[in-house]
Amino acid sequence: MTDINRRTFLRAAAVGGAATFGGTLVGCGSSGGSASGKTTVTYWDSYVSQAGWVDNEIKLFQKANPKITIKKTTQVSDKYDNLLSLAFRSSNAPDIFMLPKTPTLPTQVTNGWLDPLNTWATKDWQSGFPAGSFTEGIDVFNGKVYTAPFSGAGPSLQLYVHNGIFKQAGLTNSDGSVKLPQTWDDIGKFASIVRSKTKADGLGFGNADNVILEWWADILVRGAGSPGGMASAGVDSADYRVGRWTYDTDRNYADAVNLILQWKKKGYFYPNSMSISDEQARAFFEQGKFGMTIGGVWNQPEWTSHKFTDYSLVTLPSPSGTPQALYYGPPGGSFVAINAKSKVADAAWKWFDWLYGDAAGKRWVADGQGLSAHPDANDPSKVTFKPFAAYVGMSKYAVVGPQPTIKNPDAAKVTLGTVKPDHNDVLAGLYTGQLGNVHSALSELAGRRNKSLDDGIKAAKAQGAKVSRDDFTFADWDILKPYTTKPNS
Amino acid sequence: MAIAQARQRAWSARWSYVYLAPMMVLLVGFIVYPIVASLGYTLYRWNGIGDPSEFVGLGNFRQITHDSIFWHAVEHTFVFAAFVVPIQLVLALALALVLNNRKLRFASFYRTLYFLPVVTSAAVMGVVIQLLISNFGDKINSILLTLHVIDHHVDWLAQPHFAFAIIIAVGIWHTFGYNLVYFLAGLQTIPEDLYEAARMDGAGRRAQFWHITIPMLRGVGVVILILAIIGTFQIFDIVQIITGGGPYFATEVVNTYIYHLAFGGANATAVQPDVGLASAASFFYGLLLIAFSAIQVVVLRSLVRRRSQGVVAA
Repeated sequence: MTDINRRTFLRAAAVGGAATFGGTLVGCGSSGGSASGKTTVTYWDSYVSQAGWVDNEIKLFQKANPKITIKKTTQVSDKYDNLLSLAFRSSNAPDIFMLPKTPTLPTQVTNGWLDPLNTWATKDWQSGFPAGSFTEGIDVFNGKVYTAPFSGAGPSLQLYVHNGIFKQAGLTNSDGSVKLPQTWDDIGKFASIVRSKTKADGLGFGNADNVILEWWADILVRGAGSPGGMASAGVDSADYRVGRWTYDTDRNYADAVNLILQWKKKGYFYPNSMSISDEQARAFFEQGKFGMTIGGVWNQPEWTSHKFTDYSLVTLPSPSGTPQALYYGPPGGSFVAINAKSKVADAAWKWFDWLYGDAAGKRWVADGQGLSAHPDANDPSKVTFKPFAAYVGMSKYAVVGPQPTIKNPDAAKVTLGTVKPDHNDVLAGLYTGQLGNVHSALSELAGRRNKSLDDGIKAAKAQGAKVSRDDFTFADWDILKPYTTKPNS
Repeated sequence: MAIAQARQRAWSARWSYVYLAPMMVLLVGFIVYPIVASLGYTLYRWNGIGDPSEFVGLGNFRQITHDSIFWHAVEHTFVFAAFVVPIQLVLALALALVLNNRKLRFASFYRTLYFLPVVTSAAVMGVVIQLLISNFGDKINSILLTLHVIDHHVDWLAQPHFAFAIIIAVGIWHTFGYNLVYFLAGLQTIPEDLYEAARMDGAGRRAQFWHITIPMLRGVGVVILILAIIGTFQIFDIVQIITGGGPYFATEVVNTYIYHLAFGGANATAVQPDVGLASAASFFYGLLLIAFSAIQVVVLRSLVRRRSQGVVAA
């Protein structure tokens, strides 16, 4: 038996302490290796309803790469941008992360947040994506690739119909399928029938976070032929045909808002719609409290997880029944990027590559999460879930739109200042009756947004950028067709 | 000679300085420095990332003072204070008088009960209230409609007056316990002899309250009043959680206004947050509060002076 003297004890304690603290530090730190040779890659996203797909991908990835551990953190979506920004400021940013909306991607590149991927994202790797996927000003800056497109283009918003409620209301075709509203009038008429023949309300939404009313306006005005819609981010909500916001001159906006107000006045909307959140509205729709709601494809996995699948969907209901404008997106796209200061960039790239892989894309589509950037993953015949197949069938309503940053890369230096009251505020003001005059409210909003762009251009010019309003104007744009933006056109 | 005396005095009080040091470090680090630092930011248009570079001079202050939403937020903050402070203080005093009754059984239990909201996070209370209203809005409406309290369905957080009333009610409930405890402490410092002497002189309960309790509570009452006013001017979390300042800024208070400028609203569109503008709003609001406090001090001093002149004249 060996006697333990004081010195031996202290040495053992020191070793034990170091091991304990070492372990703790690995747990707290952003990333790193360990004595076992395992590398930990920290990963952030704001995917809540898509968490099942992410978790499954992590499981499969770790099985294929046993020496790499992905430490996922999902931040709440409305705080994600702020939290990531704070993480960068305090040097605690994750190794790989979902790109935030703010600051804009060019600003993130300028700030040195993102690692250029050209070492790994070679031309050969890029060839696995459709042509035009890597575009200067979108996911490539100064010739360096920083991210890649992940999702395929699809209509951002859809009008969801509760089949059970519609059947109760007798809104069925001769074959027993539910009647789907195709026009603005259909929506009002069906809402009225649902209200009179069932205990449910016709329409519903959850605007507690002040972000949902714009969805209603957006889907209606696009259907009527206003390509800027109302829910697009930043300058994309302008009408690129004239390079300005046209809420004051395009009557579709006032018509759509007046229609919403008319539906409210007639009592078609679930009366607590302004007090409940979008999450609650999703649950209430599922419970049959209202017959129609507007949302995105992200609703579907959550409803499926609750075994609620008895619903249908349409997009872009319009005054005539034929959409006069579509949803538009860039030719490339973005999803995740690697932290420029990551100490485990190679391992982070492996996870990046896995997420962007064809197999992960197929699982994304099969899971009903959305469309993949890889077209072969979007095979509707392989989609067995009817509502999601309906969404895949709507992909024709999303096309490539004009891109100011391709026309003039300096356009990326234009940042829009905060517009207050913004479109959500104005819509809430009109809906609650605090603003009485639709036309003047929309005109003032257009004025504020246009001034914001003018100020942004002025500020960019002061910083040396060569940019003007013309860079945001695409007079030759046919809004029903894909648009190819030519550099310096 | 004087320097030597000062040194000796400082040395003899060295432990006081040692004990004060940690608090001073925290105060300088987290209060004084941010105030001084934010003053520089007020002169820039800055999104909070990297170093500020776009100098706008006093433009941010000009924008704030011309922004009607800011002035509405100031108005809402003062209206909140105008409702919360008097209601809360009257209720707290009334309950403190009841709980100060030595014959009351389980007084400690009641004190704990009324103090519980204070130790509960305002954010948690806000979330609970928001969920209650949104999940049970229908049931609340049907009960009130049955009782004929309302004649039509109310979307509680969509109607400015109701939304603001809910925030005021939660504000009163949340910090009510503090004032109760302060008043209780004040009541317990009033010598029982005074009441005994008053009773011997034939004073009734009402006379004892007006001529002994209220005058004896004046000192602590002023402190409670000032603390309550300061507390209400700091209102943020309850508003942010329950309404986010909406609908259409109907419940926007200055602190949520500043927060929305600095970090954007819930609707994170691709616009840049403006920390410079938020700093200017914050600084300007600070100046407004200093001016308000100065007026408060002048009024209180003048009241005290008038009262002491009255006593001398009598």
